Amino acid sequence: MTYKTLRWLAVLPALILVLAVQAHEPSEHMEEAEKPKCSEMKDMDHAEMDMDDPVMQAMMKKCKQHMDKKDADSKESEHRHSESDDDATRKSQHDH
Amino acid sequence: MTAPRFLPCIKCLIAALVIAIAAALAFIYSGLYPVGADDHHTPLTYWALETLRERSVDRASSGIEVPADLDRSERLLAGGADYNDMCAGCHLKPGKDESDFTLGLNPAPPNLTQPHQGEEDLESRAQHRFWVIKHGIKASGMPAWGPNHDDERIWSMVAFLRRLPELSPEQYQVLTARGSAEAPHH
Repeated sequence: MTYKTLRWLAVLPALILVLAVQAHEPSEHMEEAEKPKCSEMKDMDHAEMDMDDPVMQAMMKKCKQHMDKKDADSKESEHRHSESDDDATRKSQHDH
Repeated sequence: MTAPRFLPCIKCLIAALVIAIAAALAFIYSGLYPVGADDHHTPLTYWALETLRERSVDRASSGIEVPADLDRSERLLAGGADYNDMCAGCHLKPGKDESDFTLGLNPAPPNLTQPHQGEEDLESRAQHRFWVIKHGIKASGMPAWGPNHDDERIWSMVAFLRRLPELSPEQYQVLTARGSAEAPHH
């Protein structure tokens, strides 16, 4: 048996082993990864949420991006609403 | 000098042993034993297999050291995603009562979304579960995840299993989804 054949015999099982290990890497599952349905959290009773509970903490971590964006949007909406109220007041005063 | 009196008895025992081995081999080679998963064991066989399994896992897992941080939220997120990918098909998820695997496997895999019925304490249960996930169980359909998954990853699955029976389908979905949260749409 030649040296080249022996080398292949050693490399091939190692290659198969490496591929088998990679198949179970979390990154392998990311391509078709399901997204968390964070909108479901808004229906939960916030008064009953125990923030010391690891389940609740994990859900908050998972949905942080969603919640932050929602908070930012609601603040922006409030800001726009108050600006339009100011404009309406100013316009009304000007008309009088 | 006379031969000891128990010698004929030894010959009888050896003969009985040889006959028993020959009968067992004849049974194995005859093909008479039904191996179909839809043909259930007798209650005695179930008892023998379950007792063998429980005693073996108890003994093998008794020295395992359980990490103190099993209730960390990061473990729930890591273990939840792995549970959903690797275990939920057989051991179910909240809101599901059966799957093709629970109907077809024999013995049926335990429904891990239900509260645990055993009497062992939390520590023993964690040791037991870690060992079963890592090493699997022969001829039961439970694979050994140890060869491709390190201990930390397996402990995170154990951590998730502790809380699984309390989760609603909505909580389960959020904890087990691998993707990141989408920003709300307008």
